[in-house]
Amino acid sequence: MYRYDTLDREILADRSAEFRDQVRRRLAGEITEDQFKPLRLMNGLYLQLHAYMLRVAIPYGTLNSRQLRKLAEIGRTYDKGYGHFTTRTNLQFHWIKLEDTPDILDALATVDMHAIQTSGNCIRNVTADPYAGATADEIDDPRVWSEAIRQWSSLHPEFSFLPRKFKIAITAAPKDRTAARVHDIGLMARRGREGELGFEVIVGGGMGRTPIVGPTVQEFLPAHRLFSYLEAVLRVYNRHGRRDNIYKARIKILVQALGVDEFARQVDEEWASIGRDGDLPDAEIARIRAAFAPKTFETLPRESLGFNEAKAQDQAFARFVRNNLKPHKRQGYTIVDISLKGIGETPGDASSEQMEVVADLAERFGQDDIRVTHEQNLVLPHVRLDDAHEVFLGLAKVGLATPNINLVSDIIACPGLDYCALANARAIIVAQDIARRFENQDRAEDIGELKIKISGCINACGHHHVGHIGILGVDKKGEEFYQLTLGGSGAEDAAIGKILGPALPIDKVTDAIDRLVNVYLQERQVNERFLDTLRRTGDAPFKEAVYGDAH
Amino acid sequence: MKALTANHLLDGRVVFWSQGQWVDRLADADLFDDSDPAGPEAEAEARAQTKLVVDAYLIDLIQAEEFWAPVSYRERIRALGPTNHLGHGKQADGGPSIAALQQAHGAARSSGRVNLIKRK
Repeated sequence: MYRYDTLDREILADRSAEFRDQVRRRLAGEITEDQFKPLRLMNGLYLQLHAYMLRVAIPYGTLNSRQLRKLAEIGRTYDKGYGHFTTRTNLQFHWIKLEDTPDILDALATVDMHAIQTSGNCIRNVTADPYAGATADEIDDPRVWSEAIRQWSSLHPEFSFLPRKFKIAITAAPKDRTAARVHDIGLMARRGREGELGFEVIVGGGMGRTPIVGPTVQEFLPAHRLFSYLEAVLRVYNRHGRRDNIYKARIKILVQALGVDEFARQVDEEWASIGRDGDLPDAEIARIRAAFAPKTFETLPRESLGFNEAKAQDQAFARFVRNNLKPHKRQGYTIVDISLKGIGETPGDASSEQMEVVADLAERFGQDDIRVTHEQNLVLPHVRLDDAHEVFLGLAKVGLATPNINLVSDIIACPGLDYCALANARAIIVAQDIARRFENQDRAEDIGELKIKISGCINACGHHHVGHIGILGVDKKGEEFYQLTLGGSGAEDAAIGKILGPALPIDKVTDAIDRLVNVYLQERQVNERFLDTLRRTGDAPFKEAVYGDAH
Repeated sequence: MKALTANHLLDGRVVFWSQGQWVDRLADADLFDDSDPAGPEAEAEARAQTKLVVDAYLIDLIQAEEFWAPVSYRERIRALGPTNHLGHGKQADGGPSIAALQQAHGAARSSGRVNLIKRK
């Protein structure tokens, strides 16, 4: 893990002191709300329906146990004993008091954390593959590049007031676990013919009201030229992105307006003028890479007798293994996915107690390494197979052993109208109801991979556009309705879902999902996922199942 | 019928206007007839209280049993708390006025927020 140096800590201390003074001036009436609002947003503090919300940055979704314990402590001291992990792999506290915020920022700074650039028209937290440094199919460790981007983009004078917010994702492997193709920039790790490291560069993907699978502007960008290229892309965007219309301000609109070829040409021109001066020295990349040096792994046999025995004797553990464990690059180790999607619970929420248990398990069994996924789950990336059963039992004690990763109840949902000032409809309640309907784990496993994603408004924080089944909450004369989309994907086969038909009232949504699943079960051929069947059959049978009764 | 609401500056909690003060429960809020100029006057007075509240605005209400409920779902959630945590927010206090709000439904239109476009 990257460690802050003295300079990093001084910046955080200064920033926190500055915000303390800004809060004091606001409370004293020395500055107006209009003056204060952009200042608080620069520190991740929003005013939502019931209280202030503080969005804490978790850089590329990586935490150590000390940091997670601090988040648990903040949740207990200043919130209602929990936090909410988001699709940007950040953590939101939903019940924060303005007057407490400076103290919270000080508390975060003690563990090298902050809330800077979690809002505003700047470069936001980078999404990286949550299995970085662990997955068996890794091409390169995206944390190295994510950390370099974090340092480069933090308080970047040229890129702190972009036309709109800017989000970057970096993959580790051919499999995309970051939704890279629907980011402003997606960097997909690749190896060249000679084995050299590079990235396929995708620019101008996005969700929101104009969902676009981003086009590739560079098939293979050598990794050592990354930063000059990023600078060129950002500069072209900063220069020509639309500041007159918030709905047309993201880079995706610029790329579409110019056309990919013209956009790429302008970037290339800018890139040539920046030259190699814009690249990070190899020594700096090497320094950062050293912070992510492979852990000290033991030499272990491929099979673990204890693991196999536990699996044979404990059916719940066997199910957990099937769904929540993933192959590790070192034999005798495994990646453990921790679902924050307990049946009937709020997707992404973790209580302070749960956070502390995960922190303890990471410290005891997981090399002190915890990841947050953009699908609102947690990961212990380095667990010995020998320890997996004990980790499972520890998680189960606090309701964190739900064996549903990538299954129907592993639903992304934004906070929606229950909390968010922008939302039109609730998302959490819809997710909970669907999860309860598919509570039977045998049925859920039979259905297999099915990604349901729910957003409470068109801003698409719940990634509904890339759900195999997407659900978008809309406001119809003040009441909640839900539009279904089918066929989206945020993975390497990225696609934007297609609207199935008229929006449904809230009490019809779960039935509709059930019908969609039943069509899939009837139509599927061997080894087909929901998405594969849908792509083969088209949406006609699915449409008929949901809307047939109405005709 | 209308009521005047805002978020408290210190902690962001939802508050309602009552006799020149801010109270926590909608049931305790002043009610204004739609045509009563006292509503917009109170709104103007509330907006001047910039050290106390943020973003004061009038909301439309409908009758809900013997109480008044916000027309829009959004405002009902503000008056109650999040529906995924029934122990959080104002709903935790319980009582007949909360129960009436929880039962209120229908007749919603737009965001229920008056003068939304002209705000600022």
